[in-house]
Amino acid sequence: MDPKKKEGIITLLIVLPALVGIFFFYYCFAGWNFFISLTDWKGFIPSYNLVGFKNYVNLFHDPLFWISLKNNLLLILGFVPGVIFIGLILAVLIDQKIRGEGFFRTIYLLPFGLSFVVTATLWTWMYSPKVGTINVLLEKFQLGFLKSGWITDPTVVMYCIIIALIWQFVGYSGIIFLAGIRSIPESQIAAAKVDGASIFTLYRRIVFPQLKASFITAFIIFMCFALKAFDFIWVLNRGGPGYSSHILGVTMYKETFMLDKYAYGAAYSTIILVLSLVIVMPFLYRVYRRE
Amino acid sequence: MFFAILALLPLWSCVVTALKTSKEVILSTPITPPLHPTLVPLMKALDYLKKPLVNSLVLVGSGVMVSSFFGSLLGYLFSKRKFRGSIVLFILIILCLYIPAQVQLIPMVRVTSNLGLHGNLGSLVLLYMLFGVPMCTFIFKTIYDEIPDSFINAAKIDGAGTWLIYQRIILPLSVIPFIVASLLQITIIWNDFIWGLILTAGKANLPVTVAMANLKGSFVAEWNLQMAGALWVALPPLIIFVFLGKYIIRGYSGT
Repeated sequence: MDPKKKEGIITLLIVLPALVGIFFFYYCFAGWNFFISLTDWKGFIPSYNLVGFKNYVNLFHDPLFWISLKNNLLLILGFVPGVIFIGLILAVLIDQKIRGEGFFRTIYLLPFGLSFVVTATLWTWMYSPKVGTINVLLEKFQLGFLKSGWITDPTVVMYCIIIALIWQFVGYSGIIFLAGIRSIPESQIAAAKVDGASIFTLYRRIVFPQLKASFITAFIIFMCFALKAFDFIWVLNRGGPGYSSHILGVTMYKETFMLDKYAYGAAYSTIILVLSLVIVMPFLYRVYRRE
Repeated sequence: MFFAILALLPLWSCVVTALKTSKEVILSTPITPPLHPTLVPLMKALDYLKKPLVNSLVLVGSGVMVSSFFGSLLGYLFSKRKFRGSIVLFILIILCLYIPAQVQLIPMVRVTSNLGLHGNLGSLVLLYMLFGVPMCTFIFKTIYDEIPDSFINAAKIDGAGTWLIYQRIILPLSVIPFIVASLLQITIIWNDFIWGLILTAGKANLPVTVAMANLKGSFVAEWNLQMAGALWVALPPLIIFVFLGKYIIRGYSGT
């Protein structure tokens, strides 16, 4: 056989298991999940009787779905702009060629290295109403009137979650923007400085307009995260108190694995998938169009 | 500086609380260092998390090796051996990074129970071998893209085939991407929670994050024990982020 052809076949044989595995694990599973959402599978034994879009119709009449969607939107509206804005500030601060740049970068990134299980445990302690760090500190600084039940109070629990997640992800966001800032040619910045641009003008006119790609990347990553978030809230308080911090991922888990409504849960996951794809697809199209 | 203090406050509070006796936790404020440091909570938490810590090490080991092996091969093919449709295939692999785990949960439960792996660690071993391949492929491809094509073309003219080029040129230049991909996978697999929650059962099979969540649920008011447990789970990623942070940053600033 032609050695070139032989080599091609060997190559294929080596990488094929991985490609098939990925295809199966991501795409077939997504399709399978959609199929399940069209059945009446309830209870632990699978049943594949097709019922059409009945699960989706039920879902749109389920108040819990609307609560979860509302909470999820709140999470997105608070978390995504927050983490992008503060991340940008951090990137600009770190960019000032201060001493110990590496030290600060490491500190800001540390929370991002931790498991949600760890961070949720830490924040349960921070927010604990009786002995928790925040309330004790507020008391100490004579700000006792600001004390609150935090994660035990249904009206503020989502904001507590948003703050904790911003804390965890802000270093990551900072890294994305710092990479963007550092990719701007030194000469442009030097030229602007020679022309007497103040630091404020420099960033507003030269740096920020060139960070479009970083903004889009950060937006996509954090949007997708906020849509599928589950771990942190589950470990923090299981979506409580009551239903006040149920988001789509939490409700999906509960419906599927605690109430054994598999088909119904699959409908939730399909909705999460569709929302994520709506955000990601235009981005991938833009990035790889020219190739 | 102000931001740095805010970033560290929860971690600081965790460390000092983990070193206090239950009595001192109630009597002192959550941020003051312990007057009489004790290792009892740390030891008690370690005892609770011993087996899961070993489980997670097994998962990390097998997952990292397999996914970075395939990631390197695929990254090489996508970067230097483009074939018809390779860009489409590559985009399909990148898209996997954005597919929410929720759509995979129910099918994976079915597959593992059909294979007889449901509930034990084998299901997670299998999962993490596949799970990291898309991300590793992406990391290897981006870093291989920086190797000039002229290297490859010169070798091709000399008659070297795909694998000889991979062995002689690409692999020796792959130390950095292997470090970056492995460190990222180590932290991701170690920190993962939802898959362990769904696929494993019984204390002997749990990964450390799930065991930690159980510890949090069973010792509700014992803050020092909870913080000590959190510290054990946090330790490996913290070490990686503090000492090898530049590789992590390299991996995350590209995506």
